[in-house]
Amino acid sequence: MALDPEFKPDHGDWYCTSCDVPLQQQKVQVLYMNSAFDVILPRCPECGLTMIPESLANGKMAEVEALLEDK
Amino acid sequence: MPGGVLKPPPGFLAITALSRCPLLEQSRLRDFEARCTQESPPRCRLHCPLDMDVRAFMAAIAASRPNEARKLIERHLPLPAVLCAVCDHPCENACLRRDLGGSLAIAELERFCLAHTGPQMRILPRPPKKQRLAVLGAGLAGLTVAFDMGRKGFPVTVFDSDRVNPLLVAFPQLPSAAVEEEWQGLVKNRVSFKAVPFEDEETAGMLLTELERDFDAVFLDASRYAFAPERQCLAPLTLHWRDKVCAGGWSDVTPTGARYASASRQAGDGRLAGITLQRIMGGVSLDAERSDTRDSRLHTPLNGIEPSPRILPANDTYSASEAVAEAERCLQCACLQCVQECVYLQKYREFPRLYARRLFSNATVVKGTRTTANVVMNGCAMCGQCETICPENFSMAELCLEVRRDAVARDVMPDSAHAFALEDMEQACGPDCAFLLQDRSLPQGTHAPRLFFPGCQLAGSRPEQVFSMYEWLRAALPGGLTLLSTCCGIPAHWAGREALFARHAAQLRTLWEHNGRPEILAACSSCMAMLNLSLPEAHIVSLWEVLDGLMPQFVHTATTHAFPGRLTVQDPCGARHDPAWQKAVRSLASKAGVELQEPTRSGEATACCGYGGLVWNAQPELAATMTQRRAQALGGPMLTSCIMCRDRFAAILAKPEDSWHLFDLLPQTADLIPDRGVSGLSARRAGRATLRRLALGPGLEDDPQKKFPLHIPDTVLASLEQQFILRQDVVDAVQGIERTGARFKDRESGYFLGSWRPRRVTFWVEYRADADGGFTLIRAWCHRMVVPGAIQPSSEVILEKRIRA
Repeated sequence: MALDPEFKPDHGDWYCTSCDVPLQQQKVQVLYMNSAFDVILPRCPECGLTMIPESLANGKMAEVEALLEDK
Repeated sequence: MPGGVLKPPPGFLAITALSRCPLLEQSRLRDFEARCTQESPPRCRLHCPLDMDVRAFMAAIAASRPNEARKLIERHLPLPAVLCAVCDHPCENACLRRDLGGSLAIAELERFCLAHTGPQMRILPRPPKKQRLAVLGAGLAGLTVAFDMGRKGFPVTVFDSDRVNPLLVAFPQLPSAAVEEEWQGLVKNRVSFKAVPFEDEETAGMLLTELERDFDAVFLDASRYAFAPERQCLAPLTLHWRDKVCAGGWSDVTPTGARYASASRQAGDGRLAGITLQRIMGGVSLDAERSDTRDSRLHTPLNGIEPSPRILPANDTYSASEAVAEAERCLQCACLQCVQECVYLQKYREFPRLYARRLFSNATVVKGTRTTANVVMNGCAMCGQCETICPENFSMAELCLEVRRDAVARDVMPDSAHAFALEDMEQACGPDCAFLLQDRSLPQGTHAPRLFFPGCQLAGSRPEQVFSMYEWLRAALPGGLTLLSTCCGIPAHWAGREALFARHAAQLRTLWEHNGRPEILAACSSCMAMLNLSLPEAHIVSLWEVLDGLMPQFVHTATTHAFPGRLTVQDPCGARHDPAWQKAVRSLASKAGVELQEPTRSGEATACCGYGGLVWNAQPELAATMTQRRAQALGGPMLTSCIMCRDRFAAILAKPEDSWHLFDLLPQTADLIPDRGVSGLSARRAGRATLRRLALGPGLEDDPQKKFPLHIPDTVLASLEQQFILRQDVVDAVQGIERTGARFKDRESGYFLGSWRPRRVTFWVEYRADADGGFTLIRAWCHRMVVPGAIQPSSEVILEKRIRA
């Protein structure tokens, strides 16, 4: 049930508007229903603002949410 | 006026007992299981003393798998070569095909099977047991005892004058080769034969006494010895005669007094007695856990089955193709009446008895095992159709409601299943939408004798029509009319949230009592059911009955749309047991001049549109299939009296305007249809607020959504609806993101992207800033997982929590 380790933005060349720096792929822990997963996601290296691309939210993430809910 | 005394429809359980054990009781499972007869044996098997699985046998022959069929014969029938040759097949008399072309030729097909296949099961001899068994008399009952007990490892000795003749005498048509063939098998299983002179009864009686002394148990074949007791002297369940002796194998008597040997009955006696003899040798109770009554309740619907004559063999016996054709006539008796009607029951390819078992075992297993309990319990529309169709009234609604309540009590109900519906309920009851309007024509401090309760979905979809209807009713009904717009609480009920429902019911009660306990006019059948639960002493009547009484005739005057002409009537599942509702709807439609058609399932047996039980929230695809299926069954333009039926059909029809609500035919409301298209989730929320403004006055015009300039293209809005994202959610998100400035920007497109987590859902919005200072939404998505750093406005809090953890 492990998430694939790395997810990049679906498209575009994104930067954080508050810090004005490009995003970096960084390890983040996502949490749901007493479970945690390490995922590498686009993130602002300064403020930590993290992006969840649409394909991840509606794909793997929705799948894992359903799995955990049905446990 | 009738009303107020309706019994709650199925699935709408009384909520009197709020305190209950958190884990479901096994006895409840038994109660549920007992009401589904699908696992009860079909009549052929029920009437076979040897419990032959005729239905499976027929299926195997029809599928051209005679080896598989032979395995069934070997598993169920003792001495197959003998029995298949002489069986008097009581199964054929019981066959439901009897009056539909003639019973299946079961005995002939068994003979075909034996003739065209070799032995299939290798019987491995069991380790020999210590106890020894004597069988006095080599009739069919005696040899059946020897067959069964020999296979179980008991050394058996059969005593008679000859080992073959007794059967040939009883069944003259039996070839001696068949008996010899079976004896070969018996010998392999440690059955031996000992010839004893068959002189007179007295000698045989003395022999029996000796056998009783020398063996651990004895069977006496009554077809061979007249001193055996009569059948009626023995307990039919055990055939126990005395001490260690059982008897069986009597001949039968026809109604005209002729004696004959029934092979099935004699072999059945042998099998029954064998079990008793084994118990005698084991020193255990002879009748514990045994029953001579079998469940005969399997309901097999025969409507629509065409007669089909029995296939007769062209020669003496069936050819392979004749056998298949004959076996194909088998009805494969099964109930499944509810399953045939219900998309949800079909989904997991099971029937209610198995669903009950699965749901109960899932509710009691240790947490952590992957199960499908949630999808099963949350897929039921709780519409009550199965209960109405089922001859034993099995209610999936009742079952699923209990299991949902249990899941809520144990805190294992997934948040996502009903969260949106419960938030919707909260909004409908909240300050933006809920209100109570006293009749302004009445003096201060007096209460109108009636209250109009349109229901939050009708209010959301058709606010102008609701208000117009209220104004008309207020003038038409003596003493004035109060208007109450709020939720009836059914989302909480369906979600299994008993405490929430009880709290809401208490609020409704307070309102009702403070307003002089008025009679309630309800425009939604689900609301009626819930109000009957919350306010059992209130007099509750459907709006349609009131209108039907108030308008002896009227003219269809709508100018905004063409007159429908002919419509198929869709009874809402909530009004399944409310004939007064159904009658009033039909009466009003005919007064409007509409020609009504009845669908295949209507009235009490109507089918749900997919809104019931919150399936639309928990499993939208399943709900959509329900809607599709029902719309197809209706077959054309339809008339609904429930706004959810109307809106769900409209959403899938090529022409949404083919889905009519009764309001669209009535003179008070027909010209106020807001949009003949689809009323979405966001529109319905806005609609409730609109009704509030219409009722309480324009001074309350304060719609924050209108102030914030976010443009949402129609295609994007449709995608939001599918994901249960509201217009308000994305407006809040863009507004919040712009306020905090925490967002990403794409150098290529110039679009912004940010997230907002106002509750246990994170919304992502991708949008662009327009030249006029407003914004346009490009797309949006959401998830429930918590991602530190992706949350606004409380990302710091979440991060800290994570660090502490």
